[in-house]
Amino acid sequence: MDLPAYLIPSPDGVPWLTLLVLSPLVGILLVGLSAALRLDDRVVRLGATAWTGVPLAIALVVWSRFDPTASAGGQGAVQLVEKIPWIQAIRVDYFLGVDGLSLPLVLLTTVIAPVAMLASWRLSDRVKAHYALLLLLQTAMLGFFVALDFFFFFIFWEFSLVPAYFLIQLWGRENRRYAAFKFFVYTMAGSIGMLLLFQVIYLSVRQAGFPTFDLIALGRLGLGLPVEGVTGTFRDILFAYMEQLGVANALGRYPLLYTSIAFWAIFIAFAIKLAVWPFHTWLPDAYAEAPVAGSILLSAVMSKMGAYGMLRIMLPFVPDASQYFAPVMGALALVGIVAGAFGALANVGGDLKRLIAYTSINHMGYVMLGIAAAAALPGGAAQDSRAIALNGVMVQLVAHGLSTAALFYLAGALHARTDTWSLNDFGGLRVIAPTFAGVMGTAMFANLGLPGLAGFVGEFFIFRGAWATLPFFTALATIGLIVTALALLLMFQRLFLGPLNERWKGLTDLRPAEFWTMMPLLSLLLLIGVYPGPLMSLANTTATQLVAVFQRVLS
Amino acid sequence: MALFLQLAWLIPALPLLGCALITFTPLRHSKPASGWTAIALMLLATVLAVGLLAATAQGLALREGQVVSLAESHGAEEHGAAKEHGMGEKHGAFAFPEPNLVQRITWAPTGSSVFTMGLYVDTPVAAILAMVTITSTCIHLFSLGYMAANARQSRFFSFISLFTAAMLLMSMADNLLLFFMAWEIMGLCSYLLIGFLYERPQAYRAAVKAFIVTRIGDVLMLLGLVYLYTQAGSLTLGVKEGEIFNPAFLERIGAERGFFGLSHATGIALLLFCGTIGKSAQFPLHVWLPDAMEGPTPVSALIHAATMVAAGVFLVARTYPIFLADGGAALAVVAFIGAFTAFFAATIAVAQYDIKRILAYSTLSQLGFMVAALGIGGWVAALFHLLTHAFFKALLFLGSGSVIHAMEATPAIERLHHQDEYAAQQTAQDIRNMGGLRAHLPWTFWTYTAGYLALAGVVPFAGFWSKDEILADAFKGGHWIVFSVLVVAAFLTAFYMTRQWRLVFFGNFRGEQPVVFHNPEAPRKATHHADEHHDEHEKRHGIHWHEDPTMTAALVVLAAFAVTAGFFNLPFAIPGGHWLSELWGQEALPFSPLVAGISLLVALGGIAAGWTFYAGAFARASDGDPLATRAPGLFRLLHEKYRMDEFYQASFGRLVAVLALFWAFIDQILNRVIDGIGQITLFVGRFNFIVDDTLFNDGPDALAGGTVATGKNTRRAQTGKAQDYVGYVFAGVVVLAVFYLYVLRR
Repeated sequence: MDLPAYLIPSPDGVPWLTLLVLSPLVGILLVGLSAALRLDDRVVRLGATAWTGVPLAIALVVWSRFDPTASAGGQGAVQLVEKIPWIQAIRVDYFLGVDGLSLPLVLLTTVIAPVAMLASWRLSDRVKAHYALLLLLQTAMLGFFVALDFFFFFIFWEFSLVPAYFLIQLWGRENRRYAAFKFFVYTMAGSIGMLLLFQVIYLSVRQAGFPTFDLIALGRLGLGLPVEGVTGTFRDILFAYMEQLGVANALGRYPLLYTSIAFWAIFIAFAIKLAVWPFHTWLPDAYAEAPVAGSILLSAVMSKMGAYGMLRIMLPFVPDASQYFAPVMGALALVGIVAGAFGALANVGGDLKRLIAYTSINHMGYVMLGIAAAAALPGGAAQDSRAIALNGVMVQLVAHGLSTAALFYLAGALHARTDTWSLNDFGGLRVIAPTFAGVMGTAMFANLGLPGLAGFVGEFFIFRGAWATLPFFTALATIGLIVTALALLLMFQRLFLGPLNERWKGLTDLRPAEFWTMMPLLSLLLLIGVYPGPLMSLANTTATQLVAVFQRVLS
Repeated sequence: MALFLQLAWLIPALPLLGCALITFTPLRHSKPASGWTAIALMLLATVLAVGLLAATAQGLALREGQVVSLAESHGAEEHGAAKEHGMGEKHGAFAFPEPNLVQRITWAPTGSSVFTMGLYVDTPVAAILAMVTITSTCIHLFSLGYMAANARQSRFFSFISLFTAAMLLMSMADNLLLFFMAWEIMGLCSYLLIGFLYERPQAYRAAVKAFIVTRIGDVLMLLGLVYLYTQAGSLTLGVKEGEIFNPAFLERIGAERGFFGLSHATGIALLLFCGTIGKSAQFPLHVWLPDAMEGPTPVSALIHAATMVAAGVFLVARTYPIFLADGGAALAVVAFIGAFTAFFAATIAVAQYDIKRILAYSTLSQLGFMVAALGIGGWVAALFHLLTHAFFKALLFLGSGSVIHAMEATPAIERLHHQDEYAAQQTAQDIRNMGGLRAHLPWTFWTYTAGYLALAGVVPFAGFWSKDEILADAFKGGHWIVFSVLVVAAFLTAFYMTRQWRLVFFGNFRGEQPVVFHNPEAPRKATHHADEHHDEHEKRHGIHWHEDPTMTAALVVLAAFAVTAGFFNLPFAIPGGHWLSELWGQEALPFSPLVAGISLLVALGGIAAGWTFYAGAFARASDGDPLATRAPGLFRLLHEKYRMDEFYQASFGRLVAVLALFWAFIDQILNRVIDGIGQITLFVGRFNFIVDDTLFNDGPDALAGGTVATGKNTRRAQTGKAQDYVGYVFAGVVVLAVFYLYVLRR
């Protein structure tokens, strides 16, 4: 297949991305084989955990083959592309590729997966099924991040729910049925609009003589960049189809109206996943009720799927409506930031996992704010400011993934020792578990955005980018910085400070295995916090090109 | 000399290395080894910093790896640019000093541009570095003895080394983001060290309070940074194009209006100043600093007196061109806050009993002096006072530590110690329980006296010269309100310090029957155990006074600086006079005998008043304060710190708690809505099911069944016999006839 300049195939001809997505599936086969051979659970644990090194290694290869500065045709180049016709009747291609927006998340997924595996180390109940589901979830998430055809994109999107559902349902806490059900149905229901929208999109581009589900091509149409074989922008094409159907006569001849409808269909699907207020209520239940590995994968990676979807589909497809509704997104982001922070504070005397879950809502609020700011008026605001906002979003996604994974892992380790989640039951653990306190303290400070650790970099650049376009929302969002810090410090205080609660006299400090599980995460947090250049330069080119469209007043 | 410029990066790196060594290597298992490692690295850093100061004082600079002399290359691009644009002429005497060293690396891409990070050393920075390394080394040394009894002494060294590294890095930052990062890491260290004795509820509460209250200032400062960054396109210090002190840029932000009708410069400056209010504990965010005294005394000396709290002052000094760019609106606020804090904190200090809290309020007050000095244009005076204050206040804190250390060894307090450590420590810090320590702790007494005279502002001790310069600036600039407020504050300073000094070192020792601190959160422990010890101790020791040699050494070094630091900027036109002004390239302030006279008179008046007022006071520890007997209402108000803490607790504390409940409630409502939608969907599903089941499922089923049954029955009718069919026909006729006759005909 002839590829345009902005699609660069794998330089060495090896289909690395296919290998990447399939590698966890091979792991599942191995787990199945071990079940057939009736191998011991310990072997499965070790094997499955070791196997997560394979996707990690492939992801590193992908990174090494990736040129972060490459750009062509007005966008950051999509690289390691594999594009094969798949279902000719509806023009579906098998289309994989990575660019600056997806590669950081691919790397994050492969880094977090081993941690999730290790977090399930103590599990003794249906171990093989558990590990198989974790691997399946990893496949779905990796597939989601690299698929560039809507058909595959959506399959991976929906499919990721299945293993997540069963992980919560089968290994969760007391209230797991409710949480799993709510999580599954909420996300599924939210994406119906997007599914329907894509039917309409397909019909309208077919009408324009360019039937495709290609997300890159459609995105280029949305951004007003030239695509071979078709003229006009996404907005024109959609509007022409609406006219042809006669819908435009009934509802009004405003092109923005139809891109707005498209915007909301996309936004709601991803906002639910990202837990944007008021679509966030599934999150505390799901994170809190899931088993520790589930909490880690849900919070560290799955919520990022929402942000990625917004960057991959929402901003490029309907930039005009994104710009128009940016203040709304900003307002929801702000409310989420504040609500998440106070929600965490309200849980200081309650459930440790719920508290961490609420801080996630707060952090995803910053992500939402960054995305809104990249799109918002005034058009005159410097392109760099918008690019900085998106760079900040990427760093924030990775940083939050790393720090929340660490926090959930440690919360799980604490629960394994004490069999309680209630913050009221602890106290003074630092005396007998100083290393535990030190490691958890580091993860906590990374989470609350202490400079020198990764969280700060993301927050700073989001605030910097957002100030240019949404200064008042940005100013008010600082409330979240203070209140989250308060909630997390109080959490730390309830766990570790004060006189030792006599119940935990014999509590063991962090074991070497646990320590070395956390070390990579903490080192990465420190590394990114001190020198974020390599991570940010991955996204920088793509982000800069993407936001160019918002320099104009679109609606 | 040039070597010191090249090795400047080692100055923050060495303490950081110390922190890493003590934290991650087996050194941590040995308290003395970790302590001496930290001290050795600090000494090395001190040598480098002093060398760097000497090199910059000679006017040496590093340009693209080449050592040049600034004096010769004058008129070169940067400095020339600053002069041409008339920063100096337009805004009084201030000119941003030329850098001696700039080293930058690319840190992160930001769209089409990049963010650079690096080190930036000019003469004020070099002076600050020298001050920080010297005080920090002394305090490290002091901690060797002071913290020896603590099981976690190694960790203590690792934290204070990390802190020192952050403070040094902040001073050397070439951009405000790095400045802010180091600033926040200092905040982290402050949190960790205030809460160092984390078994105590008071300690960890004070730690959280300090972190959160300063963070309020910090996030506003962060907004100031992003505001400035958005306007300037970078946060890099310097006067070149694209840097934040570029004259054309300053002119633009001074003229353009931003939010609420303020110019951009005013908005940025005020937001940055919020960081100062938090970090330097200015009114109204001052409440964390007195509580921070829960930390070990060396921490109070290092972080909460000499260095970190002064960082706020340094921030304003560092970004001074922005404050100047708006024509004085922001500086008026700065002056007001500073002068008010100087006075406000001094009044509280008059009515405290805790030796460390008196010093803490004194620190607030002195920081107020510095901030006010910046507000009225006394840039040199503010930094000069920052330097001298660091030495004498660190000295005073360490002296108080030495006193507390000795007090804790007295029998009455040792006895208490076995019951309740916290109460014992608080009792040991109460100046009512001291008295006559002059004879028992001679080294402490003499060094403390040097610090006391410096703080009170007696000629020729360090504080006199720097405070006098602030007053002279206010006087010369015609800032009469600031001047008079500061004069009153100076009087109060001399007064409360004399009160403290007299009650601690003179009179009789009152510690045999101390006023015991009542600890509402006392741990419940068996007390009989303690009583056994008590007799034993008394027999064995009596009162055993002692001064630790490492602690004394640190005191002597700092005392030397407290006496002499003022000579670095003598206000006379003699060789060596105005040294700092010249070093920093600022116009020197001529000596004003009138102001110096007023200043000295006020100091001596305060001392005389304090001495006479407290003559014969506190014959016993339980006596009332003379001020309390004369003006009980006033004393209570001051003693309770104007009840600011209670006010904040009742207003903001409660507001936050209510908001947490409010948002939890909103979440419940949202949850109900979602669950409700789920229920409705479920109901619709059920309804659908019923409809399906009855109409569309049962209905067709019944229809089908009915058809079959009808068929069956009908088939049975088909008998094939003629007589049956005739019978059916007859029956049919009868039915039709009846139907016709009775239904249709009617």
